[in-house]
Amino acid sequence: MRDLEHLIYFENLLQEANNALIAQAKSDGKLCVAYTCENVPEPLLNLGDCCSIRLFAPHTGSMDIATYYMTNLLCEPSRALLERAIEGGFNFADCVITPDGCTMMNRCVENMELLHTMGQGNPNFFHEYMEIAFKNTDSDVDLAVLQCTNHVLKPLHEKYGVDISDASIRESVERHNKICRLIRAIGEFRKGDRPRITGYEFHVLCLATYVCPKYLILDKLEETLEELQNREPDDKPWRARLLVVGSEMDDSGMIKLIEEQGALVCCDRFCFGSFPGRNEIVLNDDEDALRQVCRHYIQSCQCPRMMSMDKVYGRKQYVADLAREYGADGIIYQQVKFCDPWAYERTLGSSMLNVDFGYPVLSVDRPYNIASSSGQMRTRVQAFVESIEIKKIQKGEQA
Amino acid sequence: MFKKLLKLPLYLLLAAVCFFVVTFTIYMFNLDMKATAMLAPLLEKWYDHQEHNQYI
Amino acid sequence: MKTVEKVINPVRRAGEQSPGKIYDEKLKVRARREWRGLKDTLYDYTRWLYLISVLARFIVVPRNIKGFFRYRWMMSYLFVPHGMDKFTVGLRDEALRIAHTSFNFVIADVTQAIANCFRGDRRVGNDVYYSDHCVITDENSMVTFMMGFDKEKIHTILREVPTMFASNIFHQFNVMHYLDVAQQYGIPGDVCPMPEAEAGISIEDDFCVLGKCAVQNNTTCDGSLMGNGIIAKRLERQYGIPTFQLATPLRHKEPDVMDYAATEIKKAIAFVEEHTGGKWDWDVYFAAAKRVNDATRCRIAQLEINSTPYPQFFGAAFSLYNDTNYMGNSGRDPNFVPIDHKLLALAEQGYRAKRMYAKEYRHRAIVWGVQPQYTIDMLYWLVQCWGVMPLADMLSIINTEMIAEEDTPENREQAYRDMAMLNMEMIMRNHTHGGYKVLLDELWELCEKMNADMVMMWEHMSCKALTGMHGMFEEQARERGIHIMWVSHDLCDPRVFTRQAIRDQVNNYMRTVMREEPLDPSLEIIPDNEAY
Repeated sequence: MRDLEHLIYFENLLQEANNALIAQAKSDGKLCVAYTCENVPEPLLNLGDCCSIRLFAPHTGSMDIATYYMTNLLCEPSRALLERAIEGGFNFADCVITPDGCTMMNRCVENMELLHTMGQGNPNFFHEYMEIAFKNTDSDVDLAVLQCTNHVLKPLHEKYGVDISDASIRESVERHNKICRLIRAIGEFRKGDRPRITGYEFHVLCLATYVCPKYLILDKLEETLEELQNREPDDKPWRARLLVVGSEMDDSGMIKLIEEQGALVCCDRFCFGSFPGRNEIVLNDDEDALRQVCRHYIQSCQCPRMMSMDKVYGRKQYVADLAREYGADGIIYQQVKFCDPWAYERTLGSSMLNVDFGYPVLSVDRPYNIASSSGQMRTRVQAFVESIEIKKIQKGEQA
Repeated sequence: MFKKLLKLPLYLLLAAVCFFVVTFTIYMFNLDMKATAMLAPLLEKWYDHQEHNQYI
Repeated sequence: MKTVEKVINPVRRAGEQSPGKIYDEKLKVRARREWRGLKDTLYDYTRWLYLISVLARFIVVPRNIKGFFRYRWMMSYLFVPHGMDKFTVGLRDEALRIAHTSFNFVIADVTQAIANCFRGDRRVGNDVYYSDHCVITDENSMVTFMMGFDKEKIHTILREVPTMFASNIFHQFNVMHYLDVAQQYGIPGDVCPMPEAEAGISIEDDFCVLGKCAVQNNTTCDGSLMGNGIIAKRLERQYGIPTFQLATPLRHKEPDVMDYAATEIKKAIAFVEEHTGGKWDWDVYFAAAKRVNDATRCRIAQLEINSTPYPQFFGAAFSLYNDTNYMGNSGRDPNFVPIDHKLLALAEQGYRAKRMYAKEYRHRAIVWGVQPQYTIDMLYWLVQCWGVMPLADMLSIINTEMIAEEDTPENREQAYRDMAMLNMEMIMRNHTHGGYKVLLDELWELCEKMNADMVMMWEHMSCKALTGMHGMFEEQARERGIHIMWVSHDLCDPRVFTRQAIRDQVNNYMRTVMREEPLDPSLEIIPDNEAY
């Protein structure tokens, strides 16, 4: 296929956490609200002049200093973020809001706070930690509303005078939805026999919506969607269509590695991905917007820390539904090394998706930066793709 | 009969002394745990041979 | 660096002076028991007889024999006397009596728990009526939500306690098989081995199957929360036992989580009532609340004694007794009350007599972090080998607040908040979760309060909440002039760190950093790596 016009532009934005658009947003007088977890309702971090920036650490190499502070047994993303913070890579942030979602990420941000890695020269800088819901019930929504009020809205208002009114939230949701609609529409082109976008290209675009000020990439996303509508797909078929599920994926290199083996990543179900992160938030006029936003995040949440059994079973059903909708031949359950929640979720998920839903599943752990150890992963993906091909051939013979 | 009854405390004492000597010997020389340690490998084999419905 | 005054024991220990030399490597148990002088040896002997009688009374029941041969973890039952000897090495006088009083009670309690499991177990006793009045809950679970149910009518079964928690204490290799099973099914080896072993037991189908319903919670860590999903799936789908997930907020020091936590307690109670037909009884609850407060007062008094130059109740005995009483009992069983008071009386008596556990106390240490299950006795070794007195351990630093104990309309509402508070501030998680202040700041405050010059940091390598603050512990200890001694382990997998490898970390620190010689060189290396 012909290259997407803006692909290099987006790729370049992902080379650094403190990218050119963040600098531009700062010069536009925007507040950079840094966050680390998909369980924080994104629209609340984009109220008024705020823009949410999800922290990531591209091209992570050595994590020696962070390893001293957190040992080598904590997950690599948490250490990579701390290392980058110590290096001064997140100095653009005006505050950090993090949920006590998984222990390791929470400890990462606590170390950032104790080491005073951010906020020098900004007397209004703050760290906030939130309790987040465990289940999908009304009292969990109540909890989320209270937590968002106390740990997101109040501090933003008190420290920076941000408008936290219902109208402001609704406006932010609408801006958020615009991005979601675009990403979802772009992602639709992964469907069918002749997809017009690769999983890698999609991931680059989707990732950019998390780590860049959204208002500065809107036009490029719109142009990309238009371009895709007329893009001529390749004739050469993909060897297999794969759905990738698991830990946060802020390294497009992993998707690239999979696609280099001839498999298309036809759908994504991980943090920093589009499912469920780019689901549109539908608001009604009867209820306050904050409560509706919180309910949306709780109901759509696919994070393994949601502990009730409806969520435990629901997560697997969700993956199976996506696999069916996007025509996946197989599923890769991946877990970033030393991640506890996904260690268990991967085990149970890879078993259930195979036994209960009949999908071939590859269950792997991976480094944060796949470039640091790509050989093993390449071999495993190759073998998986081949096994799917063999199954297809065998099915064909039987038919 | 009366003589026999008189001897009862003596028998009881004797039994208590025997009980003490035997159990204290077991206790002091850790014979209970030594026997258990010898039994353990056999039990492990027993458990290893049992069939289990492994399932996740 | 901070220093404390050395305390010399003027009294020579009765009986044997070098208890480290009595292991038989070949047999994997001790060659003989310790000679403690006539009086204490006879006392120890009578307690051994009592223990044997407890175990014998258990095993004569036919269904218990059946259970014994069905479940691999029952191997640990055989090694209870061996385990008890570990907890009393070198102890004399009140210390010996405290260890026996607390442990014998705990052992009897756990033995009863196993008997209860077997009674209701569909594969063993299959007492359907009994099973229908049982509620299963996790091993690391506060049972506050059961405080208002009559324990004779609705039974709480912590089925993971004998299966995993206690099993590993008495037989160090006993959970390795379950870890292997879990890893064979894809759970990585870097997660906490405790929930991993529990998941392995479930996968292996080696839990007793009983109960009308189950209540799980997230009280310890991410691993524990996630392992529950695997266990609940089997309970629900294979055995038809409905499960309720009791969500317990992590940021327990924040007032804005209390309503949620209290609501969850209400829901858990409603779930139990719905499934078992049991009825919550406020009289039963407030009677239990009184006992909780009584236990709290006793615990505070014990810690006060430990802040003096003559600590009495510490180490594994203190920690495991608290575990059982605070967490597994939560005031439900009145039999704990006299034991609490007996232990306190013994400690006070020992304090008045200035009893010491070693030849001298060179350092006063706070023990922080999570102890290894299979070397849980190591704090007695620490004081006897190196003269480092462990004043308190993190797992015993729990709630000090009194809860409402009078039955009034206001207190009934307050009761839910009290239960929620106890639940949130459960053992371990009250420090490992809730923000860095409860882990870091509270440690330094405790050092100050108990006049400690040293921190022994158990670094449970898979406990991410603790290791995630490694650097901060080092830096802040340095700033405060506190010696910090790191002792790594992997909780219940002796293949990662053997017992001697754990002790060697202390040996190396004391020799190279503190430049000291052991008080009892016979203890420095003990050939117990292969011992049960």
